[in-house]
Amino acid sequence: MMSLATRCGALSPYLQATKYTANGVLFSRVAKDLVPAAGANASAGIRLAHTDIKVPDFSDYRRPEVLDPHKSSRESGDGRKAFSYLITGATSVVGVYAAKTVVSQFVSSMSASADVLALSKIEIKLNEIPEGKNITFKWRGKPLFVRHRSEKEIAVEVAVNLGELRDPQHDNDRVLNPKWMIVIGVCTHLGCVPIANAGDFGGYYCPCHGSHYDASGRIRKGPAPLNLEVPFYEFPDDDTVIVG
Amino acid sequence: MAASVCRVGSTVGRALVKNRSPILLSLRRGQASVSYAQSLVGAPETRLTALDNGLRIASEETGHATCTVGLWIDAGSRYESEKNNGAGFFLEHMAFKGTKKHPQTALEQQVESIGAQLSAYTSREHTAYYMKALAKDLPKAVELLSEVVQNCSLSEEEIEQQRSVVLRELEEVEGNLQEVCLDLLYATAFQGTPLGHSILGPSSNARILSRQDLVEYISSHYKAPRMVLAAAGGVSHNELVSLAKTHFSGMSFEYEGDAIPVLSPCRFTGSEICMRDDAMPLAHVAIAVEGASTASPDIIPLMVANCIIGSYDITYGGGKHLSSRLARLAVEQNLCHSFQAFHSSYSDTGLLGIYFVTDKHHIEDMMHWSQNAWMNLCTTLTESDVARGKNALKASLVGQLNGTTPICDEIGRHVLSYGRRIPLAEWDARINAVTPKMVRDVCSKYIYDKCPAVSAVGPVEQLPDYNRIRSAMYWLRF
Repeated sequence: MMSLATRCGALSPYLQATKYTANGVLFSRVAKDLVPAAGANASAGIRLAHTDIKVPDFSDYRRPEVLDPHKSSRESGDGRKAFSYLITGATSVVGVYAAKTVVSQFVSSMSASADVLALSKIEIKLNEIPEGKNITFKWRGKPLFVRHRSEKEIAVEVAVNLGELRDPQHDNDRVLNPKWMIVIGVCTHLGCVPIANAGDFGGYYCPCHGSHYDASGRIRKGPAPLNLEVPFYEFPDDDTVIVG
Repeated sequence: MAASVCRVGSTVGRALVKNRSPILLSLRRGQASVSYAQSLVGAPETRLTALDNGLRIASEETGHATCTVGLWIDAGSRYESEKNNGAGFFLEHMAFKGTKKHPQTALEQQVESIGAQLSAYTSREHTAYYMKALAKDLPKAVELLSEVVQNCSLSEEEIEQQRSVVLRELEEVEGNLQEVCLDLLYATAFQGTPLGHSILGPSSNARILSRQDLVEYISSHYKAPRMVLAAAGGVSHNELVSLAKTHFSGMSFEYEGDAIPVLSPCRFTGSEICMRDDAMPLAHVAIAVEGASTASPDIIPLMVANCIIGSYDITYGGGKHLSSRLARLAVEQNLCHSFQAFHSSYSDTGLLGIYFVTDKHHIEDMMHWSQNAWMNLCTTLTESDVARGKNALKASLVGQLNGTTPICDEIGRHVLSYGRRIPLAEWDARINAVTPKMVRDVCSKYIYDKCPAVSAVGPVEQLPDYNRIRSAMYWLRF
């Protein structure tokens, strides 16, 4: 432990005196020689002792609490650290969020482009579809049936007993507006396209294996297991429907 | 002046013989005469008196045939300003160059003829002039000391001659890289404050300090209330007091213009200074944090902590069985040539650190493991580490009092710092009270997540950037 005084490592002065009195003249000459060299141009490079090194004054960079050299820096320590950590923490949070945003933007650039997404919805003008008629549209690569049903058809479908259905669903659960029945025209058996206004139940008939669907698109006879699929659609106004 | 001292070899046992009964001694023939606990309690008391002018006199009568007597003064490089930095050191050189009553040769003659040894040292907060002589020569010693301190002749011609000696010494100390490294550590840790001054002072001051500066220094700082006349050895306290009355009553206790120099606190700055020179064979690196003051209760746990880290030198024979973990690592991975944990404390602050010497390829590793040792102190210290540290500390405290001079030095410094001598029994009790939790808490208070001051001399390219060093002062796992 260096608990004792720190003194320079040299021997005690009076021991040196005998060594140096003889050489006193020599050394004072040496000292004089050194003076002009160091004095003339300080940056010329001889530094006579490490004690000549002056630590520059960093006051321009100090925080206000540690500007005064006569005040202990210990008390303000916690405050200064807290400030630094707060700024660092906040910046990291913002940085992580920014990084996440950038990365997800780059990753999502690989998802479906706008033109593809545009194909995912279809807007249909309903006033062009006469009553009793079924119009087929191409939507997402599949046929979409839009049928303008008459009151008689609606009444019939609503009155069907659910017990007789293979895939029981009430007509009200399959349409938003009973006048318009919108289903995907893909037979749930093996995927052929049923023919409209055909079959024994006033709906659709699939010629491939003989599945009969009614005017609500429900399977009534034949091998198909499920009703025709009802896609998501909404009516922005009475004359248009957007499917998808 | 020859350095020969005829001091009769004297052991602690000798001092204790006086306190033990003969019967006990004969029963324990062949074994230690006293146990550690008994020796603590039986240690001679340090007596303290004060003169009217404020000078304190403290002595311990150890029964040696020799004695060390000296004056410890509350003056040092910390009391100096930029302009007179180095005055204390210069004055120390001038001290033995003759007094008003005894010119140099006469003074040397006086000291030589009683076979005594006159020495002095200057540190940052204390200055000491002391003499080692035979116990019976105490009166002469005190007289000479009083001459040296109060009536130094300070002749112009001597000053000029000593100037070149000081410059030569400054040049020489450049070769002592430990001193250079530690001086730079202080310069950067306490930058802008008086504690950053080197004791030696800059060479420019050594060239221009005049007699007037030295006289002013003496008159501002060599005042009776700031001095202690301390003695240890075969001295009688009463005799010492009467001698002091004779020689030191004239010591001044008033300041010019009532300007009592007051020490203002010194700001610690976490910072780094590197003196890179790839031509040097070894790098000397020191890292330190602000430590505890002498009077702080945290001193003891910190001293225990330093004993746990310990010190190491490539000449140690323990190899990988050394008790200090850092030393074991140093051996196994060839991390360094030497290291030591140090704690220098002053009246209101301190410097707690590790200093190591290593070659240029192991600086980074050594720094990493040193800071790892610090983190271990703050977080995962175990009962056995602390027990070992406590024992090592007790052993070193007792062991360093191996002679009248170390004892006298301790008396002088303690009275200046604490106002009394802290007896070994008290140190022992306070050390015993240290627990691992206390060490962890105290170390965390001073070390954990604090900005260190770093100084490095030599081929230090591998020294990590300061920000990395600062990041290693905490562990994310906690």
